[in-house]
Amino acid sequence: MAEVHVIGQIIGATGFSESSLFCKWGIHTGAAWKLLSGVREGQTQVDTPQIGDMAYWSHPIDLHFATKGLQGWPRLHLQVWSQDSFGRCQLAGYGFCHVPSSPGTHQLDCPTWRPLGSWREQLARAFVGGGPQLLHADTIYSGADRYRLHTAAGGTVHLGIGLLLRHFDRYGVEC
Amino acid sequence: MAAASPSVFLLMITGQVESAQFPEYDDLYCKYCFVYGQDWAPTAGLEEGISQIASKSQDVRQALVWNFPIDVTFKSTNPYGWPQIVLSVYGPDVFGNDVVRGYGAVHVPLSPGRHKRTIPMFVPESTSTLQKFTSWFMGRRPEYTDPKVVAQGEGREVTRVRSQGFVTLLFNVVTKDMKKLGYDTGPVDTQGVLGPSLPQGNPQ
Repeated sequence: MAEVHVIGQIIGATGFSESSLFCKWGIHTGAAWKLLSGVREGQTQVDTPQIGDMAYWSHPIDLHFATKGLQGWPRLHLQVWSQDSFGRCQLAGYGFCHVPSSPGTHQLDCPTWRPLGSWREQLARAFVGGGPQLLHADTIYSGADRYRLHTAAGGTVHLGIGLLLRHFDRYGVEC
Repeated sequence: MAAASPSVFLLMITGQVESAQFPEYDDLYCKYCFVYGQDWAPTAGLEEGISQIASKSQDVRQALVWNFPIDVTFKSTNPYGWPQIVLSVYGPDVFGNDVVRGYGAVHVPLSPGRHKRTIPMFVPESTSTLQKFTSWFMGRRPEYTDPKVVAQGEGREVTRVRSQGFVTLLFNVVTKDMKKLGYDTGPVDTQGVLGPSLPQGNPQ
């Protein structure tokens, strides 16, 4: 079987209006993919930046996949949340990005969005916080049910991902 | 004796902890160590180091230059657990006690070549107001008992941090027998090496 190593970091996020941010992340793959070692989901620390407006998480990712096919190439999905001084959490953005398919080092910028909801919900979010969230997290990385949503832009999550491929040339796959 | 089918690959890292930007602090020193997986073992060089105390430059850069060498070689059979360098920066507080001014970690670049990395440095924060007050009153900041936790992904959801500086690292990476073991590391990149050699405020 061909092997893929995904080694890198969720560096941080820019462009969010909230200041104390953290990120829940996960990786979704097709049925032909098997995770040999590493954790496929996690949550970063909460960062309150003192200089500049970028929140830094430096969250390490180290995953080792074996695959029998190319279908279902890994997708990273992200949820950015903000935490206020009382420890309450509010959704700031959803986003996903495909793990790059060429070996080497990649800088990824993942744009995010959040559901808007009705005008009542928007008004409530502006005054008391909270706001609508997705019931099914798979909407983040699948395109199937998106057409029903009305969304607003969030900030951008920055990732530095290195990719190592093994035995792809043995099967004639050019990445 | 060059074996026809090697089972081990080597990763040689040279480089330096070049400089740092900490707008609020001065007279800092830096410790580094490496964190790596079970299949990895160092074969040569030093995997820990502690730098001199550097003061800020008296110019617009306000740079803390350490110019501290890194030279280590690892061997492994599996890229999982690829080495990360963990940095911790310390400096004196108003009473002259050494307190931590930042932790940071980054993976050693995967592909051979020359790489520059600017890594954000953060300190843990007290979670409760009472702890905040006592740490302010006693003049003791929260610290990690083992700095190596910053290289781990698990258990982070309980920590709150404050990022307050950057350290610039330079790596020269050489690998041996990765190709023979069937790994494709991609093209040799020199990402971020071009351009000025000292950090220019906040990297994006």
